[in-house]
Amino acid sequence: MMVIETTEKAREKKPLIEWIPISSMWLREIIRFLNMKTRVISSFAEPFLFLTLLAIPFSRLMPPGSEGMMSQMFGSLSFFAFLAPGIVGIGLVSRGIMGGVTVIWDKEFGFLKEVMVAPVRRVSLMIGRSLGGMTIAIVQALVTIGVASLFGIWYGFQVHSAAGLGLALVFIILTFATFIGFGITLGALFEETEGFMSIVTLLQLPMFFLSGAFVPIGLLNGVPVLYQLQFINPLTYGIDGIRASLTGASPFFPLWVDLVVLLAFTLIFLILGARAFNRMQVS
Amino acid sequence: MKAIGADELTKVFGNVVAVDHISFEVDEGEIFGLVGLNGAGKTTTVLMLTTLLNPDSGTATVFGHNILKEKDSVRRSVGVVFEEQAVDIYLTGKQNLDFYARMYNLPKKVREERIADVLNTVGLAEHANVKVNDYSGGMLRRLEIARGMLTQPKVLFLDEPTIGVDVQTRRYLWDYLRRVNKESGMTIFLATSYLEEADYLCDRVAIIDEGKLIVTGRPKELKASIGKNLISLKLTTGLRADFIKLLQGLEYVERIEERDDLLEFSLKNGSIGIPEIVRLARGNGFTISSISSHKPSLNDVLLHYTGKKIEE
Repeated sequence: MMVIETTEKAREKKPLIEWIPISSMWLREIIRFLNMKTRVISSFAEPFLFLTLLAIPFSRLMPPGSEGMMSQMFGSLSFFAFLAPGIVGIGLVSRGIMGGVTVIWDKEFGFLKEVMVAPVRRVSLMIGRSLGGMTIAIVQALVTIGVASLFGIWYGFQVHSAAGLGLALVFIILTFATFIGFGITLGALFEETEGFMSIVTLLQLPMFFLSGAFVPIGLLNGVPVLYQLQFINPLTYGIDGIRASLTGASPFFPLWVDLVVLLAFTLIFLILGARAFNRMQVS
Repeated sequence: MKAIGADELTKVFGNVVAVDHISFEVDEGEIFGLVGLNGAGKTTTVLMLTTLLNPDSGTATVFGHNILKEKDSVRRSVGVVFEEQAVDIYLTGKQNLDFYARMYNLPKKVREERIADVLNTVGLAEHANVKVNDYSGGMLRRLEIARGMLTQPKVLFLDEPTIGVDVQTRRYLWDYLRRVNKESGMTIFLATSYLEEADYLCDRVAIIDEGKLIVTGRPKELKASIGKNLISLKLTTGLRADFIKLLQGLEYVERIEERDDLLEFSLKNGSIGIPEIVRLARGNGFTISSISSHKPSLNDVLLHYTGKKIEE
């Protein structure tokens, strides 16, 4: 009897990292992204539009000769250089949350049933699709940085150093991981795109505007609630880190604080996402 | 060994009891049919037995594995063909199967062998590299059945496998499933609202209605249980209630049922038929405008066990 039990246990055992399912989910996420041309276009047009329609006009608001005031306000950066990293951050949020929408699509499509009946860890499915989204998000971020650098010739933005770019990538990855965790948590809870989207819109706007993406965090000092809300927004730490490492400007928080807080958010949301994904049932 | 054992399985959605304390057993190697109208609780039962949905109460085992406590072992034992289409239309048939096999962590060599094997058996080998978008309804269904068998499950669940499939393909699929069952001994759990299908394929069927199991048995026995000959007729002259009273007095008449403007009953005695009934009606001042008789089908069994009854 004991022997039977141990063989049963052994059969239950799965490899710690399920490479084949993870890599397949990763590949599928990318193939599906490339298959939807509108998604490809919109995700790369978005940062470009932000840069041309927001960063360029707004950087004109600053009259010539106000460099002193500007550098005080934006930490020695031009407004364009200040904004570009913020736009990178916003792109990461959009992509992360898009990862949640694809979960709902898969539910509606029936695909989720098909893979959930396989004896594979749900976490592996989630990791695979998150890595797929992350690959796309990193490419998008690099494109944004590239386009910003091009405009930066005239508007004063350049990547500070290769090491800085490397560190920025770490922040990019952590920021994306936080928001895909958030997206997947929501995606697992909702049955239809409509409900999901209305919640997302409600959360996304304050998240964007209270993150230091457009306006320095310190500028809101003294404004009750709004100022404090910035500190519970994961994006704040992501953008602060990305900005400091990309441009070499001094961050609002010490970089290690950005890193630690963001890491904590990443863990929390990935665990929440994994739990929600694990509990998801099909009806 | 028992393939499936369901014990008081129950699922509630809001205030609708989708599946209501159902218990049944499926033997290894048999084709078992869960038969009922749409919304009877068939799909919910399949989802629970395949670990995709947790029951609110009760439990079940699949080849000895508990559906709540040993999900992975259950998942390793089952293959499922869902009611709604679940394929990636942008991928080819082969790619679809390969993706699925990857989810089972199967190494490349095994995947290739099995994919070639199942594509052959469902007759899709020639279309392996065609995008699923260009498949016909019947080809899609065959592909999904191939996918269900790819992992060599001990029990294959099929939820309305031939819905939206033409007559020819349906026959093909039926014969194919029978052959697989016979040759490999694979247990098949068929959920269907198509009674002819259940009759043709199943060793045993269980009829489910509004979440409750009504009756279980071999199709032949169930059909025999409602009589040898079924008569359905329409009266033009005379009160139906009076005619029913008249029929109730006859010892060879059973189960008189009213269905819309028709009156149906079954005859215990195979030698009595339409002529006797017509003579009886005329002799008592009733006029019959139409009358027909037929051998009981599973359809009649379903109507009898779930429909309106006035007399036993």
